[in-house]
Amino acid sequence: MPLINLPAFSADLLAEFESLGTLRVDTPVIQPAEPFLAMAGEDLRRRIFMTESETGESLCLRPEFTIPVCLRHIETATGTPKRYAYLGEVFRQRREGGNEFYQAGIEDLGDTDIAASDARAVGNAMHVVANRLPGRRLAVTLGDQSVFEAVVGACGLPGGWQKRLIHAFGDQKHLQKLLAELADPRAAGVFGPEVERLAISGMLDDEARLVAHIGETMEATGYSTNASRSPQDIARRLKEKMELANTRLDPETLDLVREFLALDMPLGEAPAALFRFAEKTGLTLDGALARFDARVAALADIGADVGVIRYRAAFGRPLDYYTGLVFEVEVEGTPAVLAGGGRFDRLLTLLGAREHIPAVGFSLWLDRIEAAIAASGGAA
Amino acid sequence: MTITIALPSKGRMKDDASAIFERAGMKIVAVGNDRSYRGRVEGWDDVEIAFLSASEISRELGNGSIDFGVTGEDLVREGLANADARVEFCARLGFGHADVVVAVPEIWYDVDTMADLGDVAADFRARHGRRLAIATKYWRLTQNHFSGSHGIQLYRIVESLGATEGAPASGSADIIVDITSTGSTLHANHLKILADGVILRSEACLVRARKPAHDGDPVVDRIISAVRGAL
Repeated sequence: MPLINLPAFSADLLAEFESLGTLRVDTPVIQPAEPFLAMAGEDLRRRIFMTESETGESLCLRPEFTIPVCLRHIETATGTPKRYAYLGEVFRQRREGGNEFYQAGIEDLGDTDIAASDARAVGNAMHVVANRLPGRRLAVTLGDQSVFEAVVGACGLPGGWQKRLIHAFGDQKHLQKLLAELADPRAAGVFGPEVERLAISGMLDDEARLVAHIGETMEATGYSTNASRSPQDIARRLKEKMELANTRLDPETLDLVREFLALDMPLGEAPAALFRFAEKTGLTLDGALARFDARVAALADIGADVGVIRYRAAFGRPLDYYTGLVFEVEVEGTPAVLAGGGRFDRLLTLLGAREHIPAVGFSLWLDRIEAAIAASGGAA
Repeated sequence: MTITIALPSKGRMKDDASAIFERAGMKIVAVGNDRSYRGRVEGWDDVEIAFLSASEISRELGNGSIDFGVTGEDLVREGLANADARVEFCARLGFGHADVVVAVPEIWYDVDTMADLGDVAADFRARHGRRLAIATKYWRLTQNHFSGSHGIQLYRIVESLGATEGAPASGSADIIVDITSTGSTLHANHLKILADGVILRSEACLVRARKPAHDGDPVVDRIISAVRGAL
């Protein structure tokens, strides 16, 4: 269907996507709302356009392409690897800009060569943005959650704290709050009076008895032991919480985590700097650093301009299906993000794929690219 | 200009509101019979009274189709985005107390704070194949409290239009966000309020729709000071 409000460069962009070995797919504009809300969280509800089918199913106008493209892949069961491209309208309630705008992008599903496919996603995004804006210097920010995971893992924190910190990665305010709490010797967990009684009766040291007690209490009070959290879940997390309450981060370790999060440098210097960081702090980060180095090397191999990419250790997205690489492409000196992407290895299994499918991709904000073209004096 | 004040149309709220206005020297009389939905204030010819349901009052304040309303703060903050920019809470009236709270099953021995709940929500999907489900009719307040104040994104709201406190036991949700005045209903359903789980301490308020026409209108100021003087 030809649309007259398509950005002028759409045809060129699609031709480039094709030359990059991708298969163009389309997805319906009207989508079931459930997968978007389940993946992105309840906050998204305010930002999407929802409606209902006659039978009461929640529907929404497509707010983005990644989830529909992945769902389509799972439904058509066409096997991997696959490289999909899309270009179409998306609908979101935004504070600035219109509520309907075009996005285009590539999703690379099932390539097991992680470094090469990461590099290709970054490289392709830079390539197609640069072709729209000849003569403009790009600025790319790159982050990697798996390095942060390795750092908190190597610090020897209990599992519960690691999970909390990793979960907050990318949400700077929340993460700093957690670190402050972790360092404060006065902050301890809040426990109800019932837990004290359990401690006195010795039940906290005997997990089997505790599980049985919780199960009996649930049945006596009319709660199902399997509809929601099970007695085992509660007993296990209670133990984890007591560990959380008893763990304080010593000032040295706290400084070290903060020093890591402050790392911000040209990507070319990052492998050596991370190596020095690991050496200085005595943390074992070998696996994560090897994968990081391999990605930097792969970027150089495909001829990407590594000189315009900065590594920012604290850069991430607080969504649980982003697992490693994240990146954003801007024009140097301007704030608008023209392309954003990352690795989402957990998404396809969350959406119902039976086997693990590694995935990486990016999307382009075509309205912002048009504005950038107009700002640099070109015809949009 | 005629100023419209909307009051609750029935129950305790109606009686308590009328009593305060009477003490404020604004005796309210129904127009026509006792069941009428319109009224006036003795001696205040430029004021008229509309009797509406409490949730309609919050909506009409947002539309600006009434000037003042007496309704629960919870309904206003739930019903209107950016409530403070659109309405002014002129007086807290001391009745209709209800707290909007986050409550979880008492048996969740490991959950007493929002931080605990954040931990549970974070790996809920991995353990149960679905997000943590919250039964509530307070969508906006829940979202603000969970995402805005505590960085918790991973949950689903299950709309509940009544008997919310029964949802965890019946299995239709894991936890609830609901109003409570004494806590006895929660207790009877084996639910406990989190230590930092009070989202809002609500009570009936005199609320003014922010309208340009109110600037410099002496009747508006007189109504506010009369009601404040009666508290």
